[in-house]
Amino acid sequence: MDKKATELRELKTSKLLLKLSSIPGPSGYEDDVISEISQIMKPYSDECFRTPMGSLVCVKKGTGPKIGFFAHADQIAFVVTKIYDDGFLRLSGVGGWDPKTVISQKVWVHTKNGKVRGVVGFMPPHLQTTEESKKVPDYDHIFVDVSMNQNWKDISIGDLVTLDTEGFEKNGTVFAPALDNRASCVAIIKAAELLSKIKTDAEAYYVFSTQEEIGGPGARSGAYISEIEYGIVIDVTHGDEDIPGYPRIKMGEGPTVAVGPVTNRRFVEHINKISGKYNIKVQIEPIAGRSGTDTDEVQLTRIGVKTALISIPLKYMHNPYEKIIVKDVEDTAKLLAFSAVHLPEIEYEELQNTGSVREGE
Amino acid sequence: MLKYLRELTEISGPSGNEDAVREYIKEKISGKVDEIFIDRMGNLIALKKGKGNGKKILLDAHMDEVGFIVTNINDDGTLSFAPVGGVDTRVIIGKKVRVGKDIMGIIGYKAIHLQKDGYMNTPKYSELKIDIGAKSRAEAEKQVKLGDYVSFVTNYEERGDFVIAKALDDRCGCSILMDLIEENTETENDIYFAFTVQEETGLRGPAIIAEQLKADIAIAVETTTSGDDPELEKQLWSTHLGDGPAITFMHSGYVVLQTIFEKLIETARQLNIPIQYKMRTVGGTNARRYAFTGIPAGVVSVPARYIHSPVSVINRKDYEHTISLLKGFLRRTDF
Repeated sequence: MDKKATELRELKTSKLLLKLSSIPGPSGYEDDVISEISQIMKPYSDECFRTPMGSLVCVKKGTGPKIGFFAHADQIAFVVTKIYDDGFLRLSGVGGWDPKTVISQKVWVHTKNGKVRGVVGFMPPHLQTTEESKKVPDYDHIFVDVSMNQNWKDISIGDLVTLDTEGFEKNGTVFAPALDNRASCVAIIKAAELLSKIKTDAEAYYVFSTQEEIGGPGARSGAYISEIEYGIVIDVTHGDEDIPGYPRIKMGEGPTVAVGPVTNRRFVEHINKISGKYNIKVQIEPIAGRSGTDTDEVQLTRIGVKTALISIPLKYMHNPYEKIIVKDVEDTAKLLAFSAVHLPEIEYEELQNTGSVREGE
Repeated sequence: MLKYLRELTEISGPSGNEDAVREYIKEKISGKVDEIFIDRMGNLIALKKGKGNGKKILLDAHMDEVGFIVTNINDDGTLSFAPVGGVDTRVIIGKKVRVGKDIMGIIGYKAIHLQKDGYMNTPKYSELKIDIGAKSRAEAEKQVKLGDYVSFVTNYEERGDFVIAKALDDRCGCSILMDLIEENTETENDIYFAFTVQEETGLRGPAIIAEQLKADIAIAVETTTSGDDPELEKQLWSTHLGDGPAITFMHSGYVVLQTIFEKLIETARQLNIPIQYKMRTVGGTNARRYAFTGIPAGVVSVPARYIHSPVSVINRKDYEHTISLLKGFLRRTDF
C-alpha cells in the first residue's frame, strides 16, 4: 500500500465527504473524482478497472454470490453555450439546476488550459424594471462574468462550468456541494473498508458510475461487465421534506430502503432483516414505478439483476450546498457490508425453496 | 495601495454592527493622523491638519455593508432572518453565511424536484431560512440569539486588474480613505476622514456629523453600480469598469452642488485623470445627508458590478485613479 493510500484510509467519513465533494466531476467529465476514488479503493480491492463508458469497477474476489454496489460519481454542472466579446458567457445546465441558487456564485470554467474564474452576475436592483424584479432569471438571462481573467479567451463553447463552493462540517452534519452523490460513493468506500475486515464468500463489485444526472449509460455498463446477481444502488433522497402522500424521510434516522417494482422483494426483505439483526435504523421509501436512479437500468442488465435501492437522506438537493448527516452515511455503509456478508444465507434459503425469510424477524 | 482592502472586505459589518470594521480601521490609522474620535453613533472621524489657512474638507466612506439579522429561531432549529439594507432574495440562496461572530450556516432552498408552479417567482424573505445544522430550537438557541447579525462569507480575490469581494460597497471607499491617510498628502486644507455607520439603512450615520464639525465641503467616496453586462443595452449602462472614477451630477434626492461637481471634473482634466459621468440618476449616497445638514457635498465613486450581493467586482485602475483625483482635489485652495 503506498503512502497516499495509507493516509486516505485513515480519513474519517466527514473528511472523505468533504474531500470527494471538493473535486469537480460533471457528467461525462468524471475522471478527476474517479481517479481519486480509485486511489482510495485500491487497498480494499483485488482489481480496479474502467468500463468503456468510464465507470470505475473495483472487485473484491470471492467464491460465493456476486453482488454489485452502485453509486454515480458525477454531479450536475453547466456548459458554456455562448461567449460575448467583452468577457461574458451564457450557460446551459448539465443536469437540473434551480436558477435561484446559481445567481451571485463564483464559478470555475474548465478550459483546456486550466481553470478560469467566473462570477455569475446579477442586474443591480436599481437598474431593474418592476417586471424584472418579480421573476428569477432563466438561463437566457443568467450570465457569467469572466472579464477579470487575462486569459478568458481560452474559454470555448462546450467548456464545463462548476460552482466554486467549499463544504464544511458542523457537529456531524456536512454542508457541501455534490453530496448527491458523493455521499453514496463514501458509503461504498466505507462498506468496502468493512468488507475487507470481515470474512465472507461473497464477491463484491464496487461500481462508481458516470453520467447518472443526465440519465446516461454509466451504471448499466458497470452492471453488464460484472455479471452480478445482486445489485444495490446507493443514491440520495429528499430528507426532512413533506411530500404529500408519502412518509416524511427524516435526516439522521438512517438510510431508506426502497420498496416497489424496480427492487427485488426477497432481496429487500433480506436487507431489512439485516438491519434488524445489526440494529441499523432504516426508513421505508415506497416507489411506485421507475425510481429515477440507476436502479431502473441495473435491474434490466443482461439476464436481469436482483436489485435494491438504498438512499441517504439529503436536504437541499441540487443546491450549491447540500446537507447530509454523517451518521446516515456510516449506517448505510454498515447495511451494505452486512447485507453482502449474509448473502450466502439467502442463497441457501432459496435452495430450500421456503419462499420467505420470515424466521428471525 | 490596496493593502487593506482584503481584510476590510472580509470583516463582517452589516449596518448597526460596524464595530469590527471600526476597530480595524482605528488600529491601522492610529499614529498617522492628528486626531481620532468616535462619536455617539459610532462614526470614526480622523483629522489630518493642513498647513495653513485652508478649508475643512470631509471625506466620507461608510463602514457598513448590507446583511441580515436573525428574527426568529424556529422549532426545527433553522433561523428566520430579515435584510439589513437592500438585499435581493435572488442573490442569497445557496450561499454560506456567518451568523454572529463565527457560527457558519447556509441559506438552503427546497430541492428543484419538489417545487411547484411559481418556482420562478422571486422568493420572499419569509420563505427563506438559515440552516446552521441545529436539529432543534434548543440546540440553535445555544449558538444564536435574536438580533444576531448575519453576513456573507466571500474570500477576497485579485485577478489581473480586477478585485472580486463582498462588501466593496463601501469598504472600497474605506480603503481609499486609509490609503490617502497613508500617502500623507501635503495640503493647505484640514482633512476630516469620516468612516461612517448605517449608510445602507438610510444614510443615518452622517446625520449627526454637521453638528460636531463644521466642514466646508464633504465628498462621499463610494462604489456605484455599473450595469455593464449583457443584460443591459449599452445605452442603459450606468458606468463602465475601467473607464475611471464616476462623477455624479445628481442622484436620488440631491443634485450635486454645481461648483463641487465642476471642480471635480476640472481637477481630473488638469491632472489628466480619466473620469466618467454616472449616467443614471438612481441610488443615493451620504452626500445627500451632508447637504441636508448644511454641508455642500459631492460624490466620487469607483464603478462596481453586482453590489449588494456576495460577490462584487471592481477594477483597480478605477481605484487608483480615484485616489489621484481625490489627492488633486484636496490640494485645491479655491474653495
